[in-house]
Amino acid sequence: MAAHNVRRTPLERLEYATIVSTLLFLVVLTVQPLLNLLAISFSDPGKVAGMSGLTVIPNGFSTEVWDLLINNSAVQRGLFNSIFITLVSTVLGVVLTALMAWALSRPGLPGRRVIFVFVLVTIVFEPGIIPDYFINKRLGLIDSYWSLILFKVVNAWYLIILVRFFEEVPKELIEASELDGANPFQIFWYVALPLAKSALATIALFYFVFHWNEFFRAMIYLNDQSKWPLQVVLRQFVVEGDKLAMVGVVDSNNYTGASQINIRALKAGMILLTIAPILAIYPLILKFFTKGTMSGALKG
Amino acid sequence: MTVSNDLATSVAMPRNGNVPKIQRRNLARGFRQWWPYYLMMAPGLIFFVIFHYLPIWEAKIAFEQLRIIPPNIWVGIKHFQTLFSSPIFWQVLANTLILSTMKIVFFFPIPIIVALLLNEIRGGAFRKFIQSAIYLPHFLSWVVIAGVFIAVLSPSDGAVNDIIGFFGMQPVSFMTDTGSIRWVLVFSEIWRSAGWDSLLYLAAIIAIDPELYDAAEIDGANRWQKIRYVTIPGIVPTIATLFILNAGMFLNADLNQVINFSNDVVRSKIDIIDTYVYRIGLQTGEYSLATAAGLFKALLGMLMIVAAHLLSKRLTGKGVW
Repeated sequence: MAAHNVRRTPLERLEYATIVSTLLFLVVLTVQPLLNLLAISFSDPGKVAGMSGLTVIPNGFSTEVWDLLINNSAVQRGLFNSIFITLVSTVLGVVLTALMAWALSRPGLPGRRVIFVFVLVTIVFEPGIIPDYFINKRLGLIDSYWSLILFKVVNAWYLIILVRFFEEVPKELIEASELDGANPFQIFWYVALPLAKSALATIALFYFVFHWNEFFRAMIYLNDQSKWPLQVVLRQFVVEGDKLAMVGVVDSNNYTGASQINIRALKAGMILLTIAPILAIYPLILKFFTKGTMSGALKG
Repeated sequence: MTVSNDLATSVAMPRNGNVPKIQRRNLARGFRQWWPYYLMMAPGLIFFVIFHYLPIWEAKIAFEQLRIIPPNIWVGIKHFQTLFSSPIFWQVLANTLILSTMKIVFFFPIPIIVALLLNEIRGGAFRKFIQSAIYLPHFLSWVVIAGVFIAVLSPSDGAVNDIIGFFGMQPVSFMTDTGSIRWVLVFSEIWRSAGWDSLLYLAAIIAIDPELYDAAEIDGANRWQKIRYVTIPGIVPTIATLFILNAGMFLNADLNQVINFSNDVVRSKIDIIDTYVYRIGLQTGEYSLATAAGLFKALLGMLMIVAAHLLSKRLTGKGVW
């Protein structure tokens, strides 16, 4: 459209400037709070007190806060737990979802419609957290990583997205492989999966983000603090304001009183540390989530 | 709001498969042909049975008196009567409805406006830059977002109070202020998802036939006229669909959000059905009463989402699934 209006009136230029500055304002609103935390976490801990929430430039420079965080045993355990839970549940989720989706996408599969309804019911009717808790308790999953890994290990929405995708696989390809004597598992592995690479990547990212950000179930199912994922450690420290869980009883004296300032910087660093893996895969998220959502909306 | 990736990506949901009617005598042959596919589905199906259908069965404790030594005693709707005669329940129901209404009124239009603005940006790279920035918070957990808001709204050194202070006014402790906490929830929702949700509308805008814009231009339409007479009519179906779907999720004020913004001072203002279930169930141990509240919400929620689905299907041709 831009090509058409070569000559612009001053009014049009003013309009455009207003639009651009409105959007830039939104960008600042979004990013500034995170940059502020970044600046605080890298400031000289002695100079954090009185730092404005508006600044994005560190006051002095020090990596002391990050050293403390990286060497903190609660943080290390939390990182390990988060990575373990997220990776296992992502891999398991993608595998089980892909298998089920491929089978469900086969036209003519007897009972296909019934199974669809069976899955859809779980989306519209969720009896709530208490029955869920009792099932996990009965299965002996309290205080086990599996209470988190198995939660929505096959997500009904992601399943349906993949089914949609697999339905587009050309019939001729499958018939040709069948003529070559391939069995259904070989067709799944050698034909369906390679075609679905980008869809699978999208689903994998969905699962990764979902499990990395999960805290509620970890909060209710894991009483053992050594099994807490990073989100729960962060919550205990920043939201609940519980310093002891974070810095430990022995060290707590070093962080209280006069050096209270360290706590603010420590919180800032802790928030950013929890975001870091999301930031690391953010380019992929932008690529696949955006494409997935765009095509989903267009196809409708 | 929480019309997240789920609804977003599912706007194009299944066309029901054409299942040929299998004759009874063909069943054995059918199974011989199809068993590998049932085997592929088996782990997933078992998962759904254990983690989605067993809990539905387990929800019967809403009608039972729990005893340490089984069996439990069937008490019918006693817990529901207790629930409906409890003032707290009506308060959390009211809070849920108030929060959902506030989010529909103040959140819903923003992604539409953002999409309209983004569509006007000419440079592709510049637009990508803006998108990359404003989509980010959607992928952060509510724990993180609460942490960010605690920092931003801090009465002593938060950005907002720094600005308020600049104008010579007294700092406000927004997170512990009963008057402001609901607005904090609305704003944090906007911060988190207004950018990302605009993507849905942007997709609809891009799908509009470019010839319509050319025609409008030949007619001498300016920027606002093109937006008003081409772009907005082009995305009305998407707006309608998403509005109805949001309305269908009315009882789902976000538990993960509320639980991280709640504290003893402001609880009475933002306590919703889900946090109430969590508190009286898992913290106080009134399992039956909590399950009754959960079931009430589940049933009402199901009716609303199915109604929304049917309405949306009828009006716009797009449903939830």
